[in-house]
Amino acid sequence: MKTLIVIREKDCQWARAFFPDMHPFLLTICNKPYVEFLVDFSLLSGIRQIRLLSDGPLGEVEEYCENGSRWGAEISYASIQSGDDMQTVLAKNKRFCAEERCMIINGMVFINYGKQADYNAFIAAFPSGEILSCSCGSLMLTGNPSGTRNISPPYPFTLSCFDSPGLYYRLSSDILNDAVSPYVLPGYNNEPLCHIGRNVVIGKSAEIIKPVILGDNVQILGGAVVGPGAIIGSNVIIDRNSSVIHSVVIDHTYIGEQLEVEKKIVSGNMLIEPESGVSLAIEDPHLLTGIRKSGASLSFIQYAVQALAALFILVLLLIPFLFLFPVLKLRGKWMQHNEDCYADISGKILNLSVTAIERGGLFGSIAIFLSLDRFFQLFRVLAGQIAIIGSTPLRVSPENREHLKRMPGYRPGVFSYAEAEAWPVDHDDKAIIERFYTAHSALFQDILMTVKAFVNRIHEKSTP
Amino acid sequence: MIIRENTRDSVSTITLAGTLDALSAPELQSFSENSALSPNVVLDLSDVDFLDSSGLRVIRGMALKKRESGGDVILACMNDDVRKVFNNTQLVRLFHIYDDLDAAVTYAETNKKSI
Repeated sequence: MKTLIVIREKDCQWARAFFPDMHPFLLTICNKPYVEFLVDFSLLSGIRQIRLLSDGPLGEVEEYCENGSRWGAEISYASIQSGDDMQTVLAKNKRFCAEERCMIINGMVFINYGKQADYNAFIAAFPSGEILSCSCGSLMLTGNPSGTRNISPPYPFTLSCFDSPGLYYRLSSDILNDAVSPYVLPGYNNEPLCHIGRNVVIGKSAEIIKPVILGDNVQILGGAVVGPGAIIGSNVIIDRNSSVIHSVVIDHTYIGEQLEVEKKIVSGNMLIEPESGVSLAIEDPHLLTGIRKSGASLSFIQYAVQALAALFILVLLLIPFLFLFPVLKLRGKWMQHNEDCYADISGKILNLSVTAIERGGLFGSIAIFLSLDRFFQLFRVLAGQIAIIGSTPLRVSPENREHLKRMPGYRPGVFSYAEAEAWPVDHDDKAIIERFYTAHSALFQDILMTVKAFVNRIHEKSTP
Repeated sequence: MIIRENTRDSVSTITLAGTLDALSAPELQSFSENSALSPNVVLDLSDVDFLDSSGLRVIRGMALKKRESGGDVILACMNDDVRKVFNNTQLVRLFHIYDDLDAAVTYAETNKKSI
């Protein structure tokens, strides 16, 4: 048998809204990613071949789950369109589903199963069609059952909706408060209601009250009170004299000193009231903030090579710049302004000098020909703030903030990958090229692309 | 790059084998421009072992051209490496992707009727 897990973007929109830094498939419930619960259920049903389907990006999920070998499963991935009905989804995965029965988990649903159970016989004998459904999705089977057995409710597992922070909070609390957890949860556990991850540092005067779950790399400083009912994700710091009670703290969060968190979900700098869904973004990083890597950062060698290349271009352009800049400035053909751009995918802002040189006239043409409009930005490469070649810097705007979420390797550059390729005709083409090269970026390729971008710009500007 | 075209159920199927990069992409482009293809075309990518941005450009260009005239390009049987390129560039949103050639041809055939 095989399992198809079909979760569309519309099913997990709520998770994207409340937990924007986490792929909905990887949203942790008691520190275990949601998708792992579905994989566990498949394995308990005797199914090892699993395919994850979505109409959104699956890169992060693929990076986490890989081929599923760590669970003894075979996981593959495929894409669907948002408007595809179940028949089309099955047709698109005909080769995967052919000849064998297929269990389909459709929608963002939570299956309440038991880790001790074996659903193999139940699933194998259940007739084709829907097993369970709720307003968020369903669990169904295709293909003919093996043998004939009369199966009637109640079934050994149930299905529940998973479509709001309230349900997420209640589900997490229920699992946490269950003394004999029906699920395998991560962390060390030698007594009920307490799971502790790896590399946890607990200050001497800190107090931990059961039930509690602590993730990996958690630091709880002196005087802090964690629990009862606290789920602390991985890479979390709880500073001095703070308390976290009946709350869920998502991975990569810093909780500042003397902060009282009660009956809340904390994700980065967001404080969410589970039942009402009201969220509050805390702007003061000393109170609450996310702890994240800033995305596509450069290694030292990459930085050194990029800085050398920038220095070389600066030296090359220095004399033409010293001559042309005052002339064009005096003639009013050199227009310069500062612009706030995104520095990385975390949304950090960088103030960048943007130059526009008016075309026309010999001096203007030479300046454009030599890419003197990028002269000032080259200094930012030396400072390690931008790359010599990367994505087109995105101006700060709500629209671009959304766009940024779809650019996982975003790293602004003096020249863009799109300029190095001759084919982009519209914004979508540029985005495709930039996504391609940020995903396949390599040191020597970057040097080659910089030269190409430089040459292409000469060509572009010399063509009327 | 080896490009083979055949017609199944009145749907043109282009089978590509080898590397689709800056060197071979123009071949595919000129092939698609100079061949009399059905409105819906199925691209069988099962034997494509490498695809770069130039290859993406040609496939995207083919799809946009076909869509202008009411047709489409349907992708079939892409291997993991090729799928990752489509996934990274988010071109997956633009195409109907089938893991089976027959299913892709059936879709192309039924979709043609609805045009």
